[in-house]
Amino acid sequence: MISPKVITHWWQGILARSIAGVLVAALFIGGVSSYLVRQSLSDREQKQAIRRLTEALETVQSTASIAAFTHDAQLASEVVEGLMRTSDILMVKIETDGKILAQDVRSLKAPSVNARLTSDMGIAVHQSSLSKPLVSPFNKTETIGHIILQPDWLMIESRVRQNVQQTLWLLLAEMVAVLLSVAAVMLFFVLRPIKAISDRLHHAAPETGAQIDIPEGHEKTEIGRLVGDVNSITNRLVMLLAHEREIQKQREIAQKKYQNLFDHATSGIFVADKTGRLDSFNPAFSELVWHAYVSQDKDPNLFDAAWQAPEKIKSLFVLALRQETAGRVSTDDFLLRGRRGDERWLSISLASLGDGSLQGTVTDVTARKQEEIQARRLAGMDALTGLANRQGLMEVLSRRTVGDVKKRPFAVLMINLDGFGQINESMGLSAGDDVLKVVADRIRAFIQVDDYSARIGGDEFVLVLEDKFACDAFDHQLRDFFAVLQQPYRMAMPDAVRVISIQASAGVAFYAADSAPGVDAHELLRHAELALMTARSAGGHTYRFFEPQLLVAAEHRRRIEDDLKQALEDGSLYLGFQPIVDLTSGTVVGAESLIRWVHPARGMVPPDIFIPLAEDVGLISEIGLLVLEKACQVVSQWRAKAQPLYVSINVSALQIPNALPPATIISALARHGLPPDALAIEITEGVLMGNVSVAQTWMTQLGEAGLRVYLDDFGTGYSSLSYLKRFPLNAVKIDKSFIHDLAEDSNDKALVNAIVTMAKSLSLDVIAEGVESAEHLSILREMGCRFGQGFLFSPAVQAHLFEETVKDIEQRLAAMPVPW
Amino acid sequence: MVNKLLRQFIFATMMLFSAGHAWADLVIVTSEATGISTLSKEDVINIYLGRYRRLPNALPALPIDMAESSEIKKKFYWRLVGKTLAEINSYWSRLIFSGQTQPPAVLNSSEDAIMRILRVPGTIGYIERGTYSKLDKRLVVVLELAE
Repeated sequence: MISPKVITHWWQGILARSIAGVLVAALFIGGVSSYLVRQSLSDREQKQAIRRLTEALETVQSTASIAAFTHDAQLASEVVEGLMRTSDILMVKIETDGKILAQDVRSLKAPSVNARLTSDMGIAVHQSSLSKPLVSPFNKTETIGHIILQPDWLMIESRVRQNVQQTLWLLLAEMVAVLLSVAAVMLFFVLRPIKAISDRLHHAAPETGAQIDIPEGHEKTEIGRLVGDVNSITNRLVMLLAHEREIQKQREIAQKKYQNLFDHATSGIFVADKTGRLDSFNPAFSELVWHAYVSQDKDPNLFDAAWQAPEKIKSLFVLALRQETAGRVSTDDFLLRGRRGDERWLSISLASLGDGSLQGTVTDVTARKQEEIQARRLAGMDALTGLANRQGLMEVLSRRTVGDVKKRPFAVLMINLDGFGQINESMGLSAGDDVLKVVADRIRAFIQVDDYSARIGGDEFVLVLEDKFACDAFDHQLRDFFAVLQQPYRMAMPDAVRVISIQASAGVAFYAADSAPGVDAHELLRHAELALMTARSAGGHTYRFFEPQLLVAAEHRRRIEDDLKQALEDGSLYLGFQPIVDLTSGTVVGAESLIRWVHPARGMVPPDIFIPLAEDVGLISEIGLLVLEKACQVVSQWRAKAQPLYVSINVSALQIPNALPPATIISALARHGLPPDALAIEITEGVLMGNVSVAQTWMTQLGEAGLRVYLDDFGTGYSSLSYLKRFPLNAVKIDKSFIHDLAEDSNDKALVNAIVTMAKSLSLDVIAEGVESAEHLSILREMGCRFGQGFLFSPAVQAHLFEETVKDIEQRLAAMPVPW
Repeated sequence: MVNKLLRQFIFATMMLFSAGHAWADLVIVTSEATGISTLSKEDVINIYLGRYRRLPNALPALPIDMAESSEIKKKFYWRLVGKTLAEINSYWSRLIFSGQTQPPAVLNSSEDAIMRILRVPGTIGYIERGTYSKLDKRLVVVLELAE
């Protein structure tokens, strides 16, 4: 470390500067003081001269007075001569009585003395002559003349000048002495030590920690302290340098590591400022963005690449910069268009570096993007019909329900094919699919450009129709659509072409007229669904419009559902048991279990209200299992008391076959240790009318396990006699409507009689329901009806009362007058 | 000044009564031939101390002084200008050197003085009043010098 030699000229040194400073100060002070000295000297000299001359005048005054008194010119001349001996007197004159008694004038060396005086001296000569009055020696009050004296100012002035010159020479000498001593002091006490330090510093290498010696004799002076400070700074510098070198080394290692990562990463890495100007980037980055960025570029800018939407990148920049403090990474995907029309998706992650610049990584996500797009396209489409699926529909509805309701009103039409399940069952799934495709084609033919169609379930379609029509016109339009839908479908089956006819139901909801602001896609669809349900409840083959009351009803139903679910858990659903009596012996042989629900608020809810509801909402399966379990419990209690009673349970069509499989029933019996004849299953004709083979299999499995199956409500439905033959039934239960008027209505009587007779011939047991009077009893016994149940015997009672009820019934029957 | 004179007068009067020789006053006299009857004190001073050499009537003034040791000379100058004889001598000594102005002529006695006065017109001298009354009616008192 060689410091540049700064002092190159002698006049730049401290010595020269101090001497110059002292010189200037001395000159200034000398100038001022010489002026002042001259002033004061001249002033003083003048005063002194005047005083001296006045004194001289005074000494001769009395003699002059005498001379004047006696008019003695001789004496006066003597006085005048005496005075003239003084060198600085120019003229003396003694006057008396207005006459000159004596006078003497020195011969002048130069003319116009006074003029020269003023100009040379620069001082105004106030008094060019001195005058003293002469008084009488014997009377002081009498003035008898004057003695007048003219001083020689030139003489005085020359003396003043001499004095001034002397003084100034002295001053000059003093100044020179001071200058020399200042220079000497500076040289010896300041300059030499500084020079010594400077030379040593110049040759010292502070980075090695070399110490500088203190110049001799300066151990305790400022110079010594300075050297001490320099040495301690040197020490600190050496330490700092060592530390710095260590850090630098570590940094270089780290730098190398990261440089490798940077250069060879497959992801693009860059650092850019907020305007997109690239500070640095790696080769992968250049390659990825298809932009020939080279380091020679003046201003390589990220935004210059061929982005499809550069403004999106800019907004990502803004976002990343705003999240500066959070230190989070902002990521988004951007499409890049190549020159040959190819595309590339790049994911850019940005993190703020905190100084207004951003660090980013770029990865190629083209493959993922394409998969996503494909997946989204698939996700929104129904593969079978090519219409949109539920997800696609929801997206469209969501989009169209955002914003101003009044802006674009539209109708949502939800269509359900009636009896489609039967086509699937009877003709196979592929036939069903074919039907769906045709339906889709007919829908496509019907809808217009702005409309939208989707299949959201097995046989559920949704149309989103522009509401371009007045309500009547729309009605008309719908009727036409229904006519088209319900046209016969020609199905090409392997063996022949079959023509089938399908009916449809539909629910319509309007967006705008029917919807409160803020109705979203889901609600709108729900409205259409409610309208559809209404149409279906009305028997199908029609359409209904959504009304707000539907929501109320739906809400009501929903509440009951909730309550029902609650009831299943808290046990407010329970079984009642109505005894079944052997009419020939008058004994109780079993009981029909009937489910009861005591609603905490509504009280007793009839099964024909809540069972369909349970079927609708899918609770029937759980209720079925509950019934099975309870029935088994109760019958096992009875059997434990050696009462060979059985319990029948009602099974609805929806429970067959999967909600209540035969295996479940059989295992429940086994679990309670019950024989198969302890349980009977009651089914309705509806079960038999559905999928015949399924019902048949189900019943057969139960029959083979030894369970009895009763056909409930016989006579109310189709009551096809072929059923009785085709299905493995054990008994029929005559519906109570026939029994009620048995005594009065001969038709009913004939019908019941026929049923009993027929059942007997088919070896089926007959159970009459609704036996309410002794008359019924006697008629049925006459007809040979073996079993009966009804209020005559007992209503359904709870399990713990059953035993008592049985006793009561048997006692009452025994007491009846009728012979058994 | 008036005050001072008054004080001198009172002092003189007291001296007069206490000393016993009253009326022993100094008078300046001249001869009738001189032609003046009175002189002011200033005239006397100017004549005796060398300022004027003529009388008011233009006659040359010839003052006569007494011997140095005489009491009357001492009294005369004291009364005239308030100075001692030493002072008067000092005064004259300066003038004598120049040679231009001479002091009055000195006579040894009042008799000589009166003789000279009577003999030479223009001569003036000073004598005791008593002396004057004893001697001559030709003498004219031109000024009385009271104490």
